[in-house]
Amino acid sequence: MSTLAAQGVTVRFGGLLAVDDANLRVPEGEIVGLIGPNGAGKTTLFNAICGFVTPVRGAINFDGADITKLAPSRRARLGIGRTFQKLELFHRMTVFDNLMVAAEAAASKLDLASDLMHLPRRPREERRCAEIARGVMDELDLGWAAERRASDLPVGTSRLLELGRALCTNPKIMLLDEPSSGLDTRETHAFGQLLQRMNAERKIGILLVEHDMDLVMEVCRQINVLDFGRMIAHGTPAEIVAEPAVRSAYLGEEEDDAPATPSARG
Amino acid sequence: MSVLIATILIGLASGSVYALAATGLVLIYKTTRILNLGYGAMALFTTFIYWQFTVNYHWPLWISAIVVVLFIAPAIGFFLDSQLFRRIEDQPIVIGLIATVGITVLIQGVVFVIWTSKTQTVPSLFPDGSVKIPGGATLGLDQLLILVVSLGAVVLLTLMLRYTRLGVAFRAVVDNRPIAGLMALNTNFISGLAWALGTSIAALTGILITPRLLLDPIILPFFIISFLLASAMFGYLRSLPLAFAGGLILGVTQSLIARYGTFRGMFGRLGNATPFIMVTILLLLAPRRLRVASTGGSFVVKTRELSAHASQRVRVGVAVGLFGLLALLPTLVTSVSWQRSLTTGMIMAVVFLSLVILTGFSGQISLGTTGFMGIAAFTAAHLATDLGWSSWVAFLLGALAAVPAGALIGIIAVRLHGLFLAMLTLAFAFMAQTLFFFDPTISGREGSVPLPRPSGFHSDTRFYYLALIVLVAGAIVAANLRSGRTGRVLAAIRDSETATRSLGISVTKYKVLIFSLSAFMGAAGGILISMQKESAARLDFLPFYAMIFLTVAVVGGLFHIGGAVAAGLLFGLYGQVFSSNNFMLNMQNIFFGLGATLALAQNPEGLFGELRRGGNAILRAFGNGRGRAPEPLPVAGGQE
Repeated sequence: MSTLAAQGVTVRFGGLLAVDDANLRVPEGEIVGLIGPNGAGKTTLFNAICGFVTPVRGAINFDGADITKLAPSRRARLGIGRTFQKLELFHRMTVFDNLMVAAEAAASKLDLASDLMHLPRRPREERRCAEIARGVMDELDLGWAAERRASDLPVGTSRLLELGRALCTNPKIMLLDEPSSGLDTRETHAFGQLLQRMNAERKIGILLVEHDMDLVMEVCRQINVLDFGRMIAHGTPAEIVAEPAVRSAYLGEEEDDAPATPSARG
Repeated sequence: MSVLIATILIGLASGSVYALAATGLVLIYKTTRILNLGYGAMALFTTFIYWQFTVNYHWPLWISAIVVVLFIAPAIGFFLDSQLFRRIEDQPIVIGLIATVGITVLIQGVVFVIWTSKTQTVPSLFPDGSVKIPGGATLGLDQLLILVVSLGAVVLLTLMLRYTRLGVAFRAVVDNRPIAGLMALNTNFISGLAWALGTSIAALTGILITPRLLLDPIILPFFIISFLLASAMFGYLRSLPLAFAGGLILGVTQSLIARYGTFRGMFGRLGNATPFIMVTILLLLAPRRLRVASTGGSFVVKTRELSAHASQRVRVGVAVGLFGLLALLPTLVTSVSWQRSLTTGMIMAVVFLSLVILTGFSGQISLGTTGFMGIAAFTAAHLATDLGWSSWVAFLLGALAAVPAGALIGIIAVRLHGLFLAMLTLAFAFMAQTLFFFDPTISGREGSVPLPRPSGFHSDTRFYYLALIVLVAGAIVAANLRSGRTGRVLAAIRDSETATRSLGISVTKYKVLIFSLSAFMGAAGGILISMQKESAARLDFLPFYAMIFLTVAVVGGLFHIGGAVAAGLLFGLYGQVFSSNNFMLNMQNIFFGLGATLALAQNPEGLFGELRRGGNAILRAFGNGRGRAPEPLPVAGGQE
């Protein structure tokens, strides 16, 4: 069971309690949303799951194994892919090479000596990985940009490329950090459909941190709500909309937006 | 007891100069984000002007000092800022660092041309005499007055920063330069002022310490930089008070070691290595916040790197043609001295190649090349001379001996980035030199150990081919590195370490790999240099050369294999071409220093970039556009 579970995760930055005793479950092949006001600790929780931030308490389990102490690259190799809220593309490389790095990270059996001496093994492995990269490129309609430099892409394409890069590692679960930011309504809608297609075809579990409520309501079967580092609600989209605590904390009823604490964000 | 007090006071006196100089360095760094490795050279230059006034023109000491410190030095600082450093303001921090290395080489060249490369004595501002301190020991009057003057200068600086309008503007720029700009402060003027003030302090430093130290154009800049960096590192380049305290601590430590240290052998030189041992310890202990924040992430230049490149076939063809020409050269050029210079060029190209794969391909930086080269050369020499092993075996094992050092720096490079990493590698080169290469058991009584050429390659012509073979092998490995999986991962790390990790790639593994490989290549170059002269000499591996190498590599083109070859030929042939022209020989350092700084400001791809542009234009003219036209690509920002 490729289930991801965070139990009682607590993250502290100096005196600031960024995430406080948060629980979260992404069952295999499910799309789960994580929402909350700015500075609620969503990205921090995200980073704790990926290993970029160390929680002071709590455990993270994946596939039934405790991964709390593993380095980010080890977790990625277990099948946890991610994208970044602030784009982290290899901006001076071409679109194709961005995907190629990921495909090779997961699939290439090329050893250093064969690579540096250009032994026959190298073109073979490269062809195999290039096929993976090209497959993802076709799946996401990125073929037209293959030889473009990543820094030259419009935001929408960049978001797609990050998604594609994670896909190339053939993950079991993907963590998407605000993938719709910078996209217009039409692009966001298309992105939502893409996520659902990916989920259906590749059986990938998805944890979606998102600001765009329409997108979350549309694609997520389960939604978790984080506020001031605490998980205040959990349920189906319909339950979440009805929840009074969520309405006051997030949907802005009765009180103004919660104060932002930028340092808590990744 | 009184001896102890006197020792501490002596330490405080020299420490106060370090402290003063360190505040100048940190001031410039904080306002302009440029860590000025040229600080020592600036002190050298201004002190030479002072020397000119006092010794040659017989001006009164105090007038000369005031003219230099208050008028000439600030003008120089302002000039450097407005003409050079402002242009590379928005470049990654490491670019600024290399530019200051260029300034060092440049200023040293200027001093050689205008004045001399010989050591001079500088008259002291202060009268002779000594002061009795309670307990019976004595202290030089000059030392006491140095303490007074430098403390006074620091107090003045502090008061200025705290209480004047200008000081407020300064602190605003230091805190946040863009915001200060929005607040209608003229940030350019302030940064110019920081440079002016910093250069003044550099001049004062030079004038205060040279009477006791001698004015040595070769050693002084690096002596000053070594204690300066150690002092400034106490505040991690950010805190003026801590840098000041660091200077005092360093001065007292050195004084105590000099007085009470009765170490033998390697540890006998511990005193000389103190500054860089301190730098290393402080860097390794640096809190994460400081290690990561704004020390310049990877080495990324705003370059049109992906622009115009010809097709794979054309590039391989050009490479084969060029190396073929290099292989034919000994039959075309029969002059012995020309052949030797060409050999030097090939060997240096190997060394530059080690910098190209490290910095150009992978975005890492090393100022420690000479460390690797020396370790390898001395290992090989001892294996061949003491144990009588074949020079081939010695070659291979010697080059391998540098790999652990490279791997260690690679591991550290996971924690340290950009500027701090550069400091650490510099410290490595200095420590390797002071503690090992200058040890008689390592470099012999005369400072060199014989290292014969491998059998079959004894003649100069044959040896040229050996160097060429090593270079071609290195170039092939480098080309495969760049185009293959490993190269893609290294480029990915250069662009975003976080994203690379998120794909399941171990950044540590690749950093260790690239530093080891680069160390191995540099080491091969170091061994070849020694084999060419048939001895490994300690004076061939001075840390200063690592800096020159970097500037030459930048001039040649740091981002391409061809750039390394161009740089090698440039370096090897410069002396040969101008062998009968003394003026041009003296200009060598000026040429490379200026070239590197200009290249960084104007065209980061260096000479090779220019050559390739010309080549592509020719291809386009004749080959129906086989060379792709340079697209006007938007420039990618540096990762900070």
